[in-house]
Amino acid sequence: MAAGLRAVRRWGLAAAAPPRLAFTRSAFVVRKANNAQPNWLGVGLAFGTSAALWGFLIKQHNEDVVEYERRKHARGHKCTGCS
Amino acid sequence: MAFLPDESRSLAPPPLFNKGSVWLGFAGWLSALADNAFNQRPVFRAGVHRQILFASVGFFVGYQLVKRAEYVHAKVDRELFEYIRHHPVDFQSA
Repeated sequence: MAAGLRAVRRWGLAAAAPPRLAFTRSAFVVRKANNAQPNWLGVGLAFGTSAALWGFLIKQHNEDVVEYERRKHARGHKCTGCS
Repeated sequence: MAFLPDESRSLAPPPLFNKGSVWLGFAGWLSALADNAFNQRPVFRAGVHRQILFASVGFFVGYQLVKRAEYVHAKVDRELFEYIRHHPVDFQSA
């Protein structure tokens, strides 16, 4: 009978506390986050990606401005409806 | 279907800092702050590289979306004015 009761407790039928729902992950696959030491690879990648994005964006914007002006002059101001 | 067809380059490019880019950049920054909060880190002082990255990605995506939106609006306007030009009878101003 004791073995039966132990089995019931293992199955969680005897008033077991439910696991909290917030942000639970299996402890077998995650490491404890160490926020004390910087993840330099991550920091480098983040700054590098940001710099690349900004560089690309600014370059693309300047090219777009030049291309727009070039096409406006090539059209010869025929269309007065649009600016 | 291209996200930004070649004829979109005939339009004036939107300014770098426009409603979409600034708002989405701000939203990206807020989500980095939220990530700090959920992982129990100091909200503003932690993960500055993450804040900058998320804000930059949001800014970039916002800028591209605004460019596409302006192209779609210009295309619809052009079709509308062409239609009005071809059907003057329906658009007599009385």
